[in-house]
Amino acid sequence: MSPILLWLILILCLVITVVKYLMGIIMRFSFPSTKAEKDYAYEPTVSVLMPCYNEGKTVYETIESIAKSNYPNHKFEVIAQDDCSADDSYEWMQKAQRDFTNIRIRTGRNKVNSGKARSVCNALQHSTAEVIISIDSDCIFHSQAIRELTACFAEPKMGSVGGRVGVRNPNDNTITAIQTLIYYAAFQIYKIPENWTRSICCISGCLFAIRRELLLEIEPAIRNRNWFGIPVSQGEDRFLTHQTLLRGYGTYINNDALCWTTVPNTLSMLFKQQLRWRRSIVRDFFFTLKSLPQHVWKLHPNTLLTLVLVPLGAMLGLLVVVTALTQDPLSWAGPLPLITALGIGAVLTWIVKKYSAREAVAHPLAFAAYVGWSMVSSLFLTPLALCTMDSADWGTRTIDARTTQPHEVPVGNTTR
Amino acid sequence: MHYKLVLTLYRVFAITVLYLVLIGILAYAWIMGFYAVNASWAAPVILSAADEKSLDFREKLVTSQQTIEDLKVDSQKLETGLAEMKGHRGALLALEPQLRDAIARQKTHNSTAGPALAQLDQQKLADNAKTQKVLEQLKEVEANINRDLAAGLITKGDAATQLSALNQAQDAYTDSKIAENLLTDSVLNKTTTGTDTLDVLEKQAELRSEVAQLDIAISVAEKQLYEESRQIVRLREAITTAKQSPYYLNASGGQTLYFAFVPYDNQAHAVAGSPIYDCYLNMVLCRHVGTVKAIFTSEEQAIHPIFKTQIRGFLIQMTLDHAESAKSKTVFLGGKPVLF
Repeated sequence: MSPILLWLILILCLVITVVKYLMGIIMRFSFPSTKAEKDYAYEPTVSVLMPCYNEGKTVYETIESIAKSNYPNHKFEVIAQDDCSADDSYEWMQKAQRDFTNIRIRTGRNKVNSGKARSVCNALQHSTAEVIISIDSDCIFHSQAIRELTACFAEPKMGSVGGRVGVRNPNDNTITAIQTLIYYAAFQIYKIPENWTRSICCISGCLFAIRRELLLEIEPAIRNRNWFGIPVSQGEDRFLTHQTLLRGYGTYINNDALCWTTVPNTLSMLFKQQLRWRRSIVRDFFFTLKSLPQHVWKLHPNTLLTLVLVPLGAMLGLLVVVTALTQDPLSWAGPLPLITALGIGAVLTWIVKKYSAREAVAHPLAFAAYVGWSMVSSLFLTPLALCTMDSADWGTRTIDARTTQPHEVPVGNTTR
Repeated sequence: MHYKLVLTLYRVFAITVLYLVLIGILAYAWIMGFYAVNASWAAPVILSAADEKSLDFREKLVTSQQTIEDLKVDSQKLETGLAEMKGHRGALLALEPQLRDAIARQKTHNSTAGPALAQLDQQKLADNAKTQKVLEQLKEVEANINRDLAAGLITKGDAATQLSALNQAQDAYTDSKIAENLLTDSVLNKTTTGTDTLDVLEKQAELRSEVAQLDIAISVAEKQLYEESRQIVRLREAITTAKQSPYYLNASGGQTLYFAFVPYDNQAHAVAGSPIYDCYLNMVLCRHVGTVKAIFTSEEQAIHPIFKTQIRGFLIQMTLDHAESAKSKTVFLGGKPVLF
């Protein structure tokens, strides 16, 4: 690939990113069609699938927050599936099952550790609901979340709907503060142009609603996901979103459906999480390239550009950083990146404080550290992801050595 | 089986790439850290004979030398002119006392001769008045002569002789009158400031003016000479300094010279005679390649070979046993930067 083409792709990626953010801001305030038609009278039956692994007491809090939903209790259930946690997560799930009797809670446990995607599929076996909501077991949900998600399915071609993920621990340290601002900007601005075309490329697995028939259609593909024979259990949210789009359905983020997650508060955890995400992006990119004609015909150009150029830019970003460091090693230490980061940080901090006080960041200057993180991210993550595509390690959860072998999973053993 | 082969190849490739990336990152970090703390590196600089700065330097040098030659010629001309002006001034100044003495003498003479001549003039005036009365009587005598001639009492010869005598008397009176006027003039000259005196005074004023003008011209010439002498000295100093510049040496020397840029932070290691080492990978497996020959004090600016930032420093001249070391990114002064 000639250097000119390389630079062109990078500039295009940068332009697309900047344009998407600008368009997001403009559309948010002046394009009503970026918001889906919501019908709160539409109340389908809902199964909340909650795979869980080594979450401890948090899983109890998660179920508690779901139990407090204002959705008609008889119309939704929680199906919690423990993935052979090494801690007392399963006991907490059972305790929740005993304590929150206002809703139906089913608990199950895999015989062997199988990963999140297969745990969702296993939980799905117990569901008969019209809409399936897959959630993360470390999140806290707003009481309106289920109602907000289901209301969006009033649009007949809506396949999957996601919620906005906020940060529970914004002020743990600089790392969480930065993530808070990035999460907020991503949901409130970056994804808005994708909302406009109902073509969100990745709905977060923290709060993911999908039509039952669609999930059942995709389920075999989820179970059979592999990379040269190695089962893939990561990035099921991105995969599900992608598959939804390919089947001609729309995808959407409803920013009024809220949940809060605990983001990594150490560099090590953050690195592992980001590496896992990056692997999913790269895997998704290769999948897109593999079936590019199908994508070209079926997907909106906006989606296709995001699916191809963003990961391509991430891969080429390494070359840019290396070139920059070779030609001008101290360029990253100049005032411009720092001032830019500080400026963006200050604005985002103000916006978050004004519109989402719960996530308000105490130290706006913390965002300056994003300059350093972006270097690490560009230099390490994508090359590492490219070179560790065979890894099944979730990264942010400790896996018991005795149960790491993937295995066809039996149905949950405890239900109520 | 097919997947297994692909996976094995992928893993070998991935591990190789990751190690290469890791080595690259560590090497990069090490190089950055090393050059951030090392204070003995210098960056070799190859100055070609056609180097723009060298040529420019040489051109300026030639111009300066030409200016010196021009100034020297000018100075010689000025010195000659100055000597002439000083000689002329001396001659004029020598005339001044003579002129003053002459004027004094003239005044003294006039003070005595003036009254005497005035007296003589009065006397002459009286004499001429008397003579005029006599000449009026001679008109009657002339009439008598003409009557006597007409009456035939005297001959024409006698009459002519007598009339001639009368004319002579008339001429004498005229001469006497002229003498009287001249005497009056003389008296006037001797007793008042006459034109002669004024002429003399004018001459004196001209003399003084000429001397003053000469003084000014001499002063200007002396200043000009002084300035030109100073300019010559300054230009010679500049040329002496310039001849110590690497660019001059490079432009004028027939042989290949080796230079290196030393940042001010590394100044302590730039000592004439200290050894120079060239290393692989810019820091290890070093070998002795030469010595520092000369230090040039003029400031230079260069781009840091690693950090690519603008830095200030100076040039040194190197004596290299291994010419290829002049092409290295960096060399080290005084010793090996690490243990080997």
